[in-house]
Amino acid sequence: MVKNITIFTTTTCAYCPMVKKYLGAKGLAYEEVNLDQNPERQQEALALSGALTVPVTVITKHDDTQEVVVGYNLSRLAPAVA
Amino acid sequence: MTNATDTPKHDVIIIGAGPAALSAAIYTTREDIDTLLFERGVPGGLASVTDWVDNYPGFPEGIAGLELGGNLQKQAERFGAVIELGEVLKIHDEGKWKRLETTSGDMLARAVLIATGSDYKKIGVPGEAEYYARGVHYCATCDGAFYRDKRLVVVGGGNSAVQEAMFLTRFASHIDLLVRSSIKASDVLQRDLQKFVDSGKITVHLDTSTDEIVGKDNKVVKVLGTHDGQKVEFPTDGVFVFVGLKPNSEFLEGSGIEMDHIHLVKSDENLQTNMKGVFVAGDIRSGATMQIASAAGEGATAALKIREYLEGHEHPVQN
Repeated sequence: MVKNITIFTTTTCAYCPMVKKYLGAKGLAYEEVNLDQNPERQQEALALSGALTVPVTVITKHDDTQEVVVGYNLSRLAPAVA
Repeated sequence: MTNATDTPKHDVIIIGAGPAALSAAIYTTREDIDTLLFERGVPGGLASVTDWVDNYPGFPEGIAGLELGGNLQKQAERFGAVIELGEVLKIHDEGKWKRLETTSGDMLARAVLIATGSDYKKIGVPGEAEYYARGVHYCATCDGAFYRDKRLVVVGGGNSAVQEAMFLTRFASHIDLLVRSSIKASDVLQRDLQKFVDSGKITVHLDTSTDEIVGKDNKVVKVLGTHDGQKVEFPTDGVFVFVGLKPNSEFLEGSGIEMDHIHLVKSDENLQTNMKGVFVAGDIRSGATMQIASAAGEGATAALKIREYLEGHEHPVQN
């Protein structure tokens, strides 16, 4: 079960709205961290994903385990939020 | 094989949701032709990940690629186009029906439009795959923000390379643009580029090959190249690659649909492939000019030819 979801995005990233749209269609709430507006959180995104890219979606489960999905990758995102 | 009576049927399935696909969908759905689009990436295609589009008619000041892609999607959806997020894996010719194996299961279509476009090519040098998304990138609008006040290398000399290098100056302190031969970008872009060269933000290195991307402690630190037979190196924090386009046609291998020597899909004057009822438009078509405006035009043409094809066959599907 999903406890909360955080998406790291940038303003110009075309794949970020796709992740938001997918989660929205599933009725899942999320917090968005726009790295253009919050550049101080870039290191956090990098540490979580190991990648210098967005979108990065962090799914925290009820047992506080986390799953990190890099990019717009439905084959990983769908099971992670199921 | 799925029982045909259980398999979802559509008049038209469009593979892709870039400018060619969405333009075709605007035309087919406005005529109440049942149309489903399959998109594995982002609607709008490569146009949506392009920083700025200056040469699409109707936008005198230009338009952000993301906005253009979004507008095309909204317009197609307004008329009833449905975009399924998924991938078509194979096409089989079953006579009046085409069977598509997709990530959502098998589907049948009376006509198919292939509009899968292209993706950015890789250079194929050591370090490129190893540092993918950790210093090597193919999408400036996605990943540029990670390089505030850093040095970057951009590889390529075409429109995309020049356009995206200029976009990346929003973030980077300096950009080395490595061009294998000469700049092939349009004159307008070259004039814009000169302003960044004059201001010292971009340095252009012509006749310079990119040989290796070198990292240290899990980070990209330099690019090795060759100029005039001499080894050269460019210290950098990241590399953005725009060295041309690779057609998204892998799924057509073995389908019987004819492709040319670079795996673009061949068509006749009606944009129909050698598989009757399967059409092609946009960057994926052999002979395409790889422009958003021409992709949109080809999408419209393909839709009209599909309508003619459907009218010459059977009545629309009843789901």
